[in-house]
Amino acid sequence: MAPETVALIASLRRPAPADTAYTEVRFVRMLRRPLVLRGELHYGGSDQLGKRVDTPYRESTTIAAGEVTVQREDKPVRNFSLERAPELQALLASFSALLGGDAAALNQYYAIALQRAGVDWRLTLTPRSSALARQLHEMIVDGRDADTRCFSLHEADGDASVMLLSALAATKLADPPTPAGLESLCRGQP
Amino acid sequence: MPRPTLNARAIVWLLAWLIALAALAFGVQRSLVLSSDLRSFMPPAQTADQKLLLDQIGEGPVSRLLLLAIANTPAERLAAASRGLVVALHDDAHFARVLNGEADLSALDPALLPYRFLLSPTLDTTTFDAVYLRDELQQRVDDLGSPAATMLKPLLPRDPTLETLKLAQRWMPLHSPQLRDGVWFAPDGSALLLAETTAAAFDPAAQGAAIAALQSAFAALPARGNAHLSISGPGYFSVVVNANTRREAEWLSGFGTFAFALLLLAAYRSLGVLALAALPIASGALVGIAATALAFGPIHGITLAFGFTLLGVAQEYPIRCLSHRRAGVSAQESLLGVWPLLRLAIASACIAYLAFFASGVAGLQQLAVFTIAGLLVAGLVTRYLLPQVLPVRFRDVAQSAWLERLRLRLDALPRLRWVPWSLLLLAGIVLWSAPTPFWQNDLATLTPVPPALLKREGELRAALGAPDVRYLLVIEAPSADGVLVLSEKISAQVETWISTKLVDDVELPSRYLPSIATQTARQAKLPDRATLQAALDQAQQDLPFQPGLFAPFVDDVEAARSLPPLTARAFGASLLGARLHAMLSEREGHWFALATLSGVHDAAALAAIAGATRGSVRLLDLKAASESLVASYRARIGTALLVALLLLAATVAIAFRDLARAWHVIAPMSLATLLVLAVLRGSGVSLSLFHLVALTLAAGLGLHYALFFERRVDDAAEARRTLHATIVCVLSAVLVFGLLATSSVPVLRAIGATVALGVAFHFCLSIIMARDKGLRAEG
Repeated sequence: MAPETVALIASLRRPAPADTAYTEVRFVRMLRRPLVLRGELHYGGSDQLGKRVDTPYRESTTIAAGEVTVQREDKPVRNFSLERAPELQALLASFSALLGGDAAALNQYYAIALQRAGVDWRLTLTPRSSALARQLHEMIVDGRDADTRCFSLHEADGDASVMLLSALAATKLADPPTPAGLESLCRGQP
Repeated sequence: MPRPTLNARAIVWLLAWLIALAALAFGVQRSLVLSSDLRSFMPPAQTADQKLLLDQIGEGPVSRLLLLAIANTPAERLAAASRGLVVALHDDAHFARVLNGEADLSALDPALLPYRFLLSPTLDTTTFDAVYLRDELQQRVDDLGSPAATMLKPLLPRDPTLETLKLAQRWMPLHSPQLRDGVWFAPDGSALLLAETTAAAFDPAAQGAAIAALQSAFAALPARGNAHLSISGPGYFSVVVNANTRREAEWLSGFGTFAFALLLLAAYRSLGVLALAALPIASGALVGIAATALAFGPIHGITLAFGFTLLGVAQEYPIRCLSHRRAGVSAQESLLGVWPLLRLAIASACIAYLAFFASGVAGLQQLAVFTIAGLLVAGLVTRYLLPQVLPVRFRDVAQSAWLERLRLRLDALPRLRWVPWSLLLLAGIVLWSAPTPFWQNDLATLTPVPPALLKREGELRAALGAPDVRYLLVIEAPSADGVLVLSEKISAQVETWISTKLVDDVELPSRYLPSIATQTARQAKLPDRATLQAALDQAQQDLPFQPGLFAPFVDDVEAARSLPPLTARAFGASLLGARLHAMLSEREGHWFALATLSGVHDAAALAAIAGATRGSVRLLDLKAASESLVASYRARIGTALLVALLLLAATVAIAFRDLARAWHVIAPMSLATLLVLAVLRGSGVSLSLFHLVALTLAAGLGLHYALFFERRVDDAAEARRTLHATIVCVLSAVLVFGLLATSSVPVLRAIGATVALGVAFHFCLSIIMARDKGLRAEG
């Protein structure tokens, strides 16, 4: 791993707990138009992650000790093993590694490639394990200076999700949002 | 001429004997099949619950579960070790299955997928109309935005109402352990597994083999590190307890044998004689085993253990032969003097053991064959072979001055006629008033599991949510479907039990498969293709799903409309149905389901359901059922022993043709037995099978003492020899069994204390009650 990459990841370190607003756009082939969700991410330390959806419906997901709990308003709680949601596991591992500034931990799960364009940067993470690769094609983290701006997951079946973080979360999106539009947003292009 | 200790003829006899024994030993050990299945030693089951119990002991999956915990290394390595162990044991014939939480047991066989509408309770409360479908589909849109999306996406086109997930949830145990890194973990941080052995829990030999296989598989794991595997469960306990008992028994009997040898050495002052004295009992034991194996095939382990104990009587034979040797007369001739009595003792013991044969229990019949053959052979070789090979030189024990002094002192004892009667009265009072239960039906208390192991077992069982080993819910009906109907009928009651914390979980068969009636009712609510398509179109009007996405769902519903209802037999053939298959069984035209329970908090409240269902649903307490089996077994032994005693008395009376003399022999024997019982009961001991067997041995020895003390002898020297032989016998028995009585294992203590006490009482009472008056007058 290049020292530059290690240094960049180290600079992303944030003390736990940390909360950040997000806007997520999901492109699912089963659906004719993308889903747009807004809410807040909660990072509670090494293997604890929370995701709250505020619109278009209310739902909260917590991950702790390998168990995922999904609670949607007025519906029974749904529990499942993290093993059954590799996408979430990947997100959790990378979140933990990035917010911990731990390049070595990240390198354990993913091959990391770094691209830079001035103050903007992009980390492309490719799963190392074939089990994860069957679900997740790649994960892209975009940022500017010491701030993470976007998490993009490209699933193996062609579905994708782009998560705009903190400052970008409030951006007004096109209707419907397009992958290209989001890409340029994440890249910091006007 | 040098004084030969053994002449040439004797050497030939001895060699021939030893070769015969060696050949017999070789043959026996080659063909001996030991069985340790407790069932063959139990009486035929009488009640339905006893029959179920015997089935459960043999086939019941609950008792065959071993609970495993891997600890002492970081979590990710624990998970790797857990997976490694499952892989390593996958093809091991000792295990039916090994689970660590990884396998998704709740997955429906793909061929049965259209059946999900008949299996899931969804259609009990709703129909697949536009309103219901609209609500479901809206939720699926939300699901696709949630973290569960990856998991749900592959299901949606075929199963938008998520029936497969509802079924999976229904089929999952209510309390399964926490998953970490995909495998089960206990709250204390150890990885948990369940291993189901193919062997029954109460077959310690087979369980031992399974546990050895498990341990070597674990030791061979590359990713093991310094991880530690701990095993628990009924099967493991039987192995541990057996090993403990065997270790202590071997140590104590080894020590006892050594002490016995020293005693014989002191009594006869010859190493050669010491070795020869062992031959009759060795011959008896070998022939006993061979005869039993010939008559029955596999010999039960308990037969051997009890048989060797009862054969202890035969140690008397060579001692009588040795102590009664007279100076100036050949060994054969001097033996002839006591042979009629010895023959009577052997014959009466053998006739008495015939009573065991009539008991009708295979294990006891084996015991009878073993003991009778063993005693006969030990007696015959003592009579015909032993005198041939004894050294010519010996010391007549009648020459001992101390023996004469002891004899005179004993003779001088006043004949206290009131002593036996007052002892009888005392024994009667003690037996009548002893506060503890007379019988100990729970045989487990005789071979107790160390408390630390039991505590660990409780923790693991709770962490795994593993079913209770003691209780089962029996559901009985004339047909398999009848069982399912009944199971559905009580499911509401069971829900109440769970919610009111009487029990943590009950795994009812209808949880897996609804009755045919229920399936047909659900089937009738399925809409036809056109109706369903119209409802679906209306439901997804303004939802973003791609057109035609749910065609596989529409096809499945159409297919389900014409399916024949799923029967227990068809379902049982699938992977998931294996659970149901293991629960259901047919016996004599009746169907039974054995539903497992976890965390039984109030057995009495659960048992009340039997009244409400007129007994067709009942709580089976395996402990109570096994105790009732033990009790009926013991009743048979008890009857056999009583008959044996009567046969014995009759044999003695017929042989003597004199009731008064017979009384002198039988009375001390019976009173001594009663006294042992009184001492045991007075010190708070509840009696078990093992006590009964020990009492039988002691009575057999007591018969010898009484017979020989009662014998009319002409001279004081012969009286001294009788006394010598009896003292050697009594001391050796008290030594060997007294040592056993110091054991920490209750079953060994029971046998040891009973025999040692018995021998002492029989000896003392024979002196008081059986001594011949003629000699006393002469002395």
